[in-house]
Amino acid sequence: MDTTQPQKHTKAPQVMFESPNNNGAPRTVIEIENFDFSYGLKQALFDINLKIPEKLVTAFIGPSGCGKSTLLRCINRMNDLVDISRITRGNIRIENVDIHDRDVDVIELRRKVGMVFQKSNPFPKSIYDNITYGLKIQGIKDRKRLDEVVETSLRGAALWDEVKDRLHDSGLGLSGGQQQRLCIARAIAVEPEIILMDEPCSALDPIATAKVEELIESLKTKFTIVIVTHSMQQASRVSDRTAFFYLGRLIEFDNTQQIFTRPSQKQTEDYITGRFG
Amino acid sequence: METPTRHILGTFENALNTLRNDVVMMASLTERNLQHAMKGLLQRDNDLSNLAIADDEEIDLLEKQVDQTGIELLLRFQPVASDLRQVISAMKLSGNLERIADQAVNISKRARKLNQNPALDDVHYLEPLFNEAMGILKDSLRAFIEGDVDLALAVKVRDKKLDEANAEVAHRFTMRMAEAPDRITDFLNLLLIARHLERVGDHSKNIAEDAVYAAAAEDIRHPRAQKAAAI
Repeated sequence: MDTTQPQKHTKAPQVMFESPNNNGAPRTVIEIENFDFSYGLKQALFDINLKIPEKLVTAFIGPSGCGKSTLLRCINRMNDLVDISRITRGNIRIENVDIHDRDVDVIELRRKVGMVFQKSNPFPKSIYDNITYGLKIQGIKDRKRLDEVVETSLRGAALWDEVKDRLHDSGLGLSGGQQQRLCIARAIAVEPEIILMDEPCSALDPIATAKVEELIESLKTKFTIVIVTHSMQQASRVSDRTAFFYLGRLIEFDNTQQIFTRPSQKQTEDYITGRFG
Repeated sequence: METPTRHILGTFENALNTLRNDVVMMASLTERNLQHAMKGLLQRDNDLSNLAIADDEEIDLLEKQVDQTGIELLLRFQPVASDLRQVISAMKLSGNLERIADQAVNISKRARKLNQNPALDDVHYLEPLFNEAMGILKDSLRAFIEGDVDLALAVKVRDKKLDEANAEVAHRFTMRMAEAPDRITDFLNLLLIARHLERVGDHSKNIAEDAVYAAAAEDIRHPRAQKAAAI
């Protein structure tokens, strides 16, 4: 068997990636096991088993309400902010640490697992202050260090050339696409290991979308990226692995090319070819 | 193969059906042309030969139409999975059909030359070759239309037998050239017609390979090259 390829999903969703460092296979960085999640009495996720590989782009796809964004928000415990949310079974481990352990510092977890949202949400501050906000909270005040991080982060987010002469202008004065890249720069400034993206291009025009997609491609050399997208084309363009969710269940998880040319599950085929309903 | 449910987008469904219908139409015209070409040869009927040559234009136009519809489909709907495979395979299939129709034209042109001279009984050695080539073509097309992988795989085996039969017939015609040197040109034409029929088998095999790709997403072309690459 080719151990560099993820195993194919058969019937019930199982743990689908190899053990870490198994014959050069991608190392698992996020491991989700037997995970059930509910909003009040309504169960949103059922028995999710998924191993997300390091420094690759993993896309979550599926129809609205399938649980893909819910699962994404569980990975950095954003769902803790929803009162009625609760995990009823299973766990999520990042680098073998259960993120719901009492010892886990949620602030530190969210530094390690950055997030970019559907709608760009820069702070009503200057471009410079947007980038340095997280660092200042960590107590870093050294101007030289902050300047360096601003430049590195903006370069990393492919925004430096466009804003280097107006770093102290408001971030809100940028275009939608630039604002989204500013948010990505803000996310990478605190040196996370994982970046979660919840439909990051849904409000952007095709050019801005292309820039963000290019950026995702370059970011994966440093970060593990998980992206929720409604665009099948975007998933096929930017991701290495794709997970298809339906009614709160993981239906199939495989190489993206495999999913979009030869899915093993009929539900996946029906969804990606637009035959649902 | 599992029958796909209808696509949500009616225009997409219609475009896929149009593509499929054009390919089916092209296939039936190609079969008919090949039959006319062989009848023109065997029955020494120049009208049938001329018909096969004239009808080739219609097949050429259909090839362009299939490509145009396929490109439009790719552009407008960005199909994936089985839909993508159907579109790609249909476009490749139309190219193979067009080349088969070209073989029918070649056969007809040679038949017209042969018809200028007294009949040769040896022409009937081509009949089994034609029947097998036509059988392979029909089955490869059926495999594509019905998504029948087993039938498509059987075609590959039959094409090899056709190659062997062609070699035997070619040997016979070469021997006959030595026996009847005044008819060398005619035997050469018969030998080349056998070669055209063998090419029909090759293109039909390509269609069968595309049928397997469309139905099962397996690329079964060039197994020897694949084995060598794996070593």
